[in-house]
Amino acid sequence: MTTRETDNQLELLQGTLDLLILQTLAPGRAHGHAIAHSIERRSEDVLQVGHGSLYPALQRLLKLGLIEAEDGISENHRKARFYRLTAKGRKKLDLETSKWRRFSHAIARILTPLAEEGR
Amino acid sequence: MLRWESRRNRLLQEIETHIEMETQENLDAGMPAEAARSAARKKFGNVLLTAEKSRLVWGGLWLERLLHDLRYALRSLGHAPGYTATLVLTLVLGLGSVTTMLAIVESTLMRPMAFPDPEQLVLIYAESQPEGTSLSPHSLSYRQIEELRRSTRSFASLSAYNTAARPVGASDGTRITVLTEATPGTFQMLGIPAKSGRLMESADAQAPVAVVNDEFWRERLHADPKAIGSDITVSGQLRTVIGVLPAGIRFPQGTGGPVVYVPVSLNASGEDDFGSDTASVIARVKPGVSLQQALADAQSVFVHSDPKNAARQGVLKIVSYREYVTGDMQRPLLMLLGGVGVLLLIACANATNLQIGRAANRIPEMQMRSALGASFGLLLQQLVMESILLSLLAAALGSALSYGAVALVRRAYGTQFPRFDELSVHPAVLGAAALLAILMGVIASLAPILHIRRQTASAFAAKNTTRRGRLPGILVALQVALTCVLLATCGLFVRTVRSLQNVKLGFDPSGVTTLVLMPENLHQDPELSRQIETRLLRRFETLPGVQSVTMQSAIPFSSYNVALHGTTEVSGRAYRDGDAAYYSMVSTNFVHTSGIHLLRGHDFLPKDETDTAIAILVNQAFVNQFLGGRAPIGASLKFHREPEDKDADLPFTQPMAIIGVVENELQGGDLGAPYEPMVYLDYLQLPKGSLLNMVFSMSAQYAVRSMLAPAALASELRAAVKQEAPTMVEMSLQPMEESISQSLGQRRLALRLVSGFGAVALVLSAVGIYGVLAYAVAVRRREIGVRVALGSSRAQAAGLVMRQAGTMVLFGLVPGVAGAWAAGHAVRSFLFGVKVLDTATLIAVGFVLVAVAGTAAFLPALRAALVDPAETLRAE
Repeated sequence: MTTRETDNQLELLQGTLDLLILQTLAPGRAHGHAIAHSIERRSEDVLQVGHGSLYPALQRLLKLGLIEAEDGISENHRKARFYRLTAKGRKKLDLETSKWRRFSHAIARILTPLAEEGR
Repeated sequence: MLRWESRRNRLLQEIETHIEMETQENLDAGMPAEAARSAARKKFGNVLLTAEKSRLVWGGLWLERLLHDLRYALRSLGHAPGYTATLVLTLVLGLGSVTTMLAIVESTLMRPMAFPDPEQLVLIYAESQPEGTSLSPHSLSYRQIEELRRSTRSFASLSAYNTAARPVGASDGTRITVLTEATPGTFQMLGIPAKSGRLMESADAQAPVAVVNDEFWRERLHADPKAIGSDITVSGQLRTVIGVLPAGIRFPQGTGGPVVYVPVSLNASGEDDFGSDTASVIARVKPGVSLQQALADAQSVFVHSDPKNAARQGVLKIVSYREYVTGDMQRPLLMLLGGVGVLLLIACANATNLQIGRAANRIPEMQMRSALGASFGLLLQQLVMESILLSLLAAALGSALSYGAVALVRRAYGTQFPRFDELSVHPAVLGAAALLAILMGVIASLAPILHIRRQTASAFAAKNTTRRGRLPGILVALQVALTCVLLATCGLFVRTVRSLQNVKLGFDPSGVTTLVLMPENLHQDPELSRQIETRLLRRFETLPGVQSVTMQSAIPFSSYNVALHGTTEVSGRAYRDGDAAYYSMVSTNFVHTSGIHLLRGHDFLPKDETDTAIAILVNQAFVNQFLGGRAPIGASLKFHREPEDKDADLPFTQPMAIIGVVENELQGGDLGAPYEPMVYLDYLQLPKGSLLNMVFSMSAQYAVRSMLAPAALASELRAAVKQEAPTMVEMSLQPMEESISQSLGQRRLALRLVSGFGAVALVLSAVGIYGVLAYAVAVRRREIGVRVALGSSRAQAAGLVMRQAGTMVLFGLVPGVAGAWAAGHAVRSFLFGVKVLDTATLIAVGFVLVAVAGTAAFLPALRAALVDPAETLRAE
């Protein structure tokens, strides 16, 4: 079990990884390695993506038609597979983002007083 | 498959690229090459697991796993050919017999008849006894039929028909042929077209025309394409063939061979050509009308059509044509299906035991695979797969077997039982067999799976186990019980056939040949017929080698019997409703020829002019029913007269006087039938003009007692007929003993089938017992070795095995006897002269089972006795 490493790294909630991938692909196309690093970098290494778990998620998104894949050449001149958002994926991203915001606001509001009492 | 492979390869390549990129980054960050690579791999995690999970997303994985399991199952079964062969053979026997029986049941009881819209075809009949349940159709009078045809609204069409055997002459001479008279339009109603020529139409009602079936056209008209328009003689009357029916048409059902159809034509007194004023009715219900509606409609018309008859006949009944045809077959066939079901259970128990044994041998393999990360579910899937694969293979072989068996049954019994000529294995049956096979596969693999689960879950390796589950023993006991049921049923049938063969016939059939003749011209004067027949009788008596001859209107086991069922009044006894006896016309020397014992009084005398009364003989059953306690000789009886009856309605009005009592004689063709009260009349003493004289003008039956060989006698009789009475046509000529053994045909067939099931069950049980014991000895080898080393004798070691066999058989016999009792109850209507729970049969069955178990246990016991203690101790 490699996901549980240090306390200040969080396990990903089920389904969150999909959202993160979609978000990462919003500016443009990227290959698997770039996606993984982008997620880690932007969460300041708090969210640790098991690189292995990225690929089943990508397959799932492909199957749902939210992203599409194409072959291309990486910045290091390697043959790689690039993923980009589809129109459907973009819509999904908008929807999920606003849902996630409302969800995290709600959770934050519930948790705040308790956290202060506990202190 | 190929798509998965390429997709998977691409994914693996993508992952490889990913790891290389990561490695490159690590290198760039200054790690040494080796560390950079392993850090990248570690960061990625399990590559194969990732690939597996991704494929899970693609779907269809189950199919790939299935194919994988299949390949694995085939490979591992290939390593155990003995086990595979035994298991498959067991299942082939079980599934093959079930498929065969299912095919027979489906073809006869479930498949629609080969007519268009067969579900609309019904038979209408009157049931005289309201509580009766039999399907024997009682025909309706032509008046009623006409009324039904005119006034009902539920039927698209309604036809009447009668069938009899009649002499039919074609270019090849005159032969007795099945003749069916049917109202014109019958074939149009059934939806049968003419193969050539045309069908009978309403304009043909009085015309001298005939339609013939395909067999008649082939056998009697030599398949002549120009046969249409040619003439044949039917009962002495010239008729023109106007049409030929297509091949394979059986109407009325049960008629086989050549058939001639003529239109029904009624004479002035409302009788048809057969002299009958009633006929069977078949009708086609209009689409959308239910049977109940049709029945209500017909019933209301029927009640008003012929009030006197309606009151006597009671209510109308409607039954679908299919049910009418196969109604009698339903119970025997379903019972046989039950029999093969039991067989299948035995096979299933065997399969389970075999698989448990194999599973025990595979525990190390399973533990290994489990340790390598195979989930229990995966192992389970693997085992079930293997089991199903074997079952399906067995089902395929069994179906092939059933094709052969069904073809064999069709050929052997196609003409004997209704619809057996249509037998074939239809796809629906194959589908059912496949489903059964899958079900069996799953069931048979459940026990081994549980066994393996226990073993793999336990921390100890199974190498040293001596204990095993109780299940195999229980399964063998179950097998023994089921086999006991089948064998006991088989024993009951054996006893039934034997007691039927020992039935007291009343007459002595040995050396008796039955000859049935019919006048070519049925319209000839009855008095002339009588003269010809009497002349022939005298002539037969003078033939060399012939001891005596009698004429009888009802001869045991003849299919041409005519006996009058007459309401009878015995003087000195108040008449009660239902007092009736069968009247049989015989010639003077009947007692002497038939060998029947005269119990009291005397035989017919050549000129017995004792009285105005007519001399009769009665049988013991008559005396018991009507003359309880009284001296029978001299008692007088007469036909009962209802107030509204006229003289002409009775056979004759003269009183009859009993001159002798004979022992009960079997009537009809069923050895198991009860004795009926009989009255024997000397046909020469019948009053002039009596209706009964007509009987002999229809057919004459001679019983000839002779020491000659049947073939020699037959040619002698034929020559005499040709010379003395060339206008008489032979309907049947057969030694009586042959007819008797034919009458046992159906029971013999049942016996043969049940014995077959019993034998298969016995073999399966023996295999089961052997398998379990052999495995037990293999597992207990070590224990036995230790026992022997500690001073146990070899006989005791063998006794250990024998005791186990004995326990299993005993535990099987107890429920087996209970099951045999239940099965005996289920088949009791087929039994004769044997009780449902027959002690002798059960003892015999028990003995057979113990003997078979002993034989099956012999080899394992021998192996136990030969265990070498030194070897065991060395192994320790």
